[in-house]
Amino acid sequence: MSDVTVPATTGAGVFFDGRISTRRDARVTLGARTLTIDDAEGRLLAEWPYEEIEGLPGPDGVLRLGRHGQVRLERLTITDPALAATIDARAANVDRSGGLQHRQRLAVVGLSFVAVATLLMVAWFGVPAVAARVAPLLPVAVERKLGAAVDVQIRSALDTKHAGAAFECGNDAGKADARAAFAKVTQRLEAAAALPQPLRFTIVHRPESNAFAIPGGQVYVFEGLIDAAHDADELAGVLAHELGHVAHRDGTRAVLQGAGLSFLFGMVLGDFVGGGAVVIAAKTVLQSSYSREVEAAADVYGVGLMQKAGGNARALAAILARIGGATEPGMKILRDHPDTRARVATIERLAPGSGGPAMLSPAEWTALRGICKG
Amino acid sequence: MTSLEASGGKASSVRFLGRRRTYARLLARGAALLLVSLGLYRFWLMTDVRRFLWASTEIDGETLEYAGTPIELVLGFLVAVAILVPVYAGFFVAALDLGVFGEMAGGLAFLGLGVLGQYAIYRARRYRLTRTIFRGLRFTQDGSAWVYAFRAAGWWLATALTFGLAYPFQLASLERYKMRHTFYGTLPGRFAGAGWKLLLRGVPMWLLVMAPLALTAAAFVEAVDWGALADAVGQGGDDVMARVEGGNPALGETIVFAMLMIGLSVLLAVLFYPVFQAVVLRWWTSGLRFGEIEATSSLRIRHVYGAYMRFLWWGLLFTIVLGILAVPLLIFIGILAGKMPETGAGDIAASVIGLGGYVIAALGYSTIYRATVQLSLWQLGAEALHLSRVERLDRVEARGEASSPLGEGLADALNVGGY
Repeated sequence: MSDVTVPATTGAGVFFDGRISTRRDARVTLGARTLTIDDAEGRLLAEWPYEEIEGLPGPDGVLRLGRHGQVRLERLTITDPALAATIDARAANVDRSGGLQHRQRLAVVGLSFVAVATLLMVAWFGVPAVAARVAPLLPVAVERKLGAAVDVQIRSALDTKHAGAAFECGNDAGKADARAAFAKVTQRLEAAAALPQPLRFTIVHRPESNAFAIPGGQVYVFEGLIDAAHDADELAGVLAHELGHVAHRDGTRAVLQGAGLSFLFGMVLGDFVGGGAVVIAAKTVLQSSYSREVEAAADVYGVGLMQKAGGNARALAAILARIGGATEPGMKILRDHPDTRARVATIERLAPGSGGPAMLSPAEWTALRGICKG
Repeated sequence: MTSLEASGGKASSVRFLGRRRTYARLLARGAALLLVSLGLYRFWLMTDVRRFLWASTEIDGETLEYAGTPIELVLGFLVAVAILVPVYAGFFVAALDLGVFGEMAGGLAFLGLGVLGQYAIYRARRYRLTRTIFRGLRFTQDGSAWVYAFRAAGWWLATALTFGLAYPFQLASLERYKMRHTFYGTLPGRFAGAGWKLLLRGVPMWLLVMAPLALTAAAFVEAVDWGALADAVGQGGDDVMARVEGGNPALGETIVFAMLMIGLSVLLAVLFYPVFQAVVLRWWTSGLRFGEIEATSSLRIRHVYGAYMRFLWWGLLFTIVLGILAVPLLIFIGILAGKMPETGAGDIAASVIGLGGYVIAALGYSTIYRATVQLSLWQLGAEALHLSRVERLDRVEARGEASSPLGEGLADALNVGGY
């Protein structure tokens, strides 16, 4: 287009010299290598080489120009479209059509895909790897403090009726037999496991068939699990599985992972709306995917521990098959336990025989079953 | 002869040149890019928004220029993250230590990050000002961000303790500090708004919003037998609520009354919010001074309501579109769940679609809010502004240089941003 018509090389503009805010009506002349700015009397105000001219953000229909890399903020505004077009053509850093900017934005989108992919990789591989390295290095004393902090949270979450001390089972004087029977099971497991930290087993009033370990050697057993167990070995099998989590320091790892993930997603992705929900969802999905492997490892440990303690290692498979492995009904996709059938098969492969004599006599088992009743 | 002419200067108004449609398109494109970049595009969007608003605001025939770049914001954010990592790690470790400090760690973290947030707000203002160029001269800000942060924290405490009555004085005091340290070239800024004037305008609204809450508190004092309540709660066990009700027969009615009153209070607060915004905006812009240049504002409350009406209208349209789009997706989830109940494919699809829907809805409403209310507040605030003795703008000398974007990055990392 500019080949045909003669390009405009002179016109009016408004100039600010960057020293003082005085507005100067200026005459702009486009030379071969430079743009010159003169005032109404023809005095030279500024001379800019084209390669130093940059386009600056301005309102529609106004070309705002500055000189790159200068401390003094010289500004020239041009409203004459023909003159603006010539400057756009001659100065490389003037980008009225926005093509340069458009390419830059595309690069940003591309780069952010890379960044998001990296972030997900870090979340998926990096955070668990770091947590797994750091968790065994934490001294037992630190882990116990961590456990105590988590314990407060867990208690207040589980103890929905605010029963306080009455939330734990078997503290009445009349439950001495039941306590003794439970202690017999746990002491045998603890002796066989020989973990570097003392363990604490607590039975609580909760109807679900569940048990879990938190950092610091604290194991919670729910009343519902004792109801669901057919014999002491089944209960012991679940406890042995939980001791696997203690031995592998899974609780500590989970806390470290949780902290790492909430930092990663919360801070790096920032406050773009809905970020909070994405963070929570991502954490749940990621953490449950970590725990599938972790649960399998705890099963293996549990079988070994039951064999060492002289119990029936297959009992864990029996109770798992019965209670289904899902700890929370309705949480099918996000449940913490891998497919129950696969777990049962693995345990039965690892423990071919039925093991030694029962861990508790029928009388002791009856006493233990009543620990939360009455 | 008006008083302005009498005082020896010409008056000039501020114009807003931007087109609503251009801004809406910019925001809509930004929202789409935010979505695909999981929010990383926000530095670019923020820069675009500021370039648009600045370039659209014309004072005495010249528009403002925003000279900040997205890359600066990214760098500031990265530095802020590098600073915050050890801070967060420190609080995490402290929370594990169950000593006195450990127990207070949560509260300390809240306070510490609150003060740091105010620090960031001040530094971010400095960044924005030094990137604001007008007639070839920069705005600058000096003063100490830490001084500001502790002042602001103290004022927030006072405002909380007085149920908001100290808020006008907080705004006035903090604005005085900010403006006292603000310069256009060598022209010093100051803030002339008085807290008590804002208080007088706000107090009727405050009373109407607080009255239902005060009535609720009075009703509880009247109805509840505190001794019996303490006994009932103190005993513990499963049937706390039953015993509480037994000891206080009037409690049920009082709770119903309290819920109604709190509902009324929230309703009034929502209805008055645009008035409050308009009053504060008008008071604030009328208090701005640069040298001998004085600002006055003729902002009308009904115009702010108009902005909210536009928000409601577009929000309603967006809701209808979302609702129509949700139907086929729900049918899809139903089919998946019906055909393959064991695999949990239905559950996964529901989670993914639910999450995506939530993010899209939140992004959509916030974009509509920015395109209607936020833009209108800027435009109304600017257009209602009259400047006296504006010819003093002609001979201001340059001063100062660009500042570091760290404050902006901290503000972003701590989620305390502004425009």
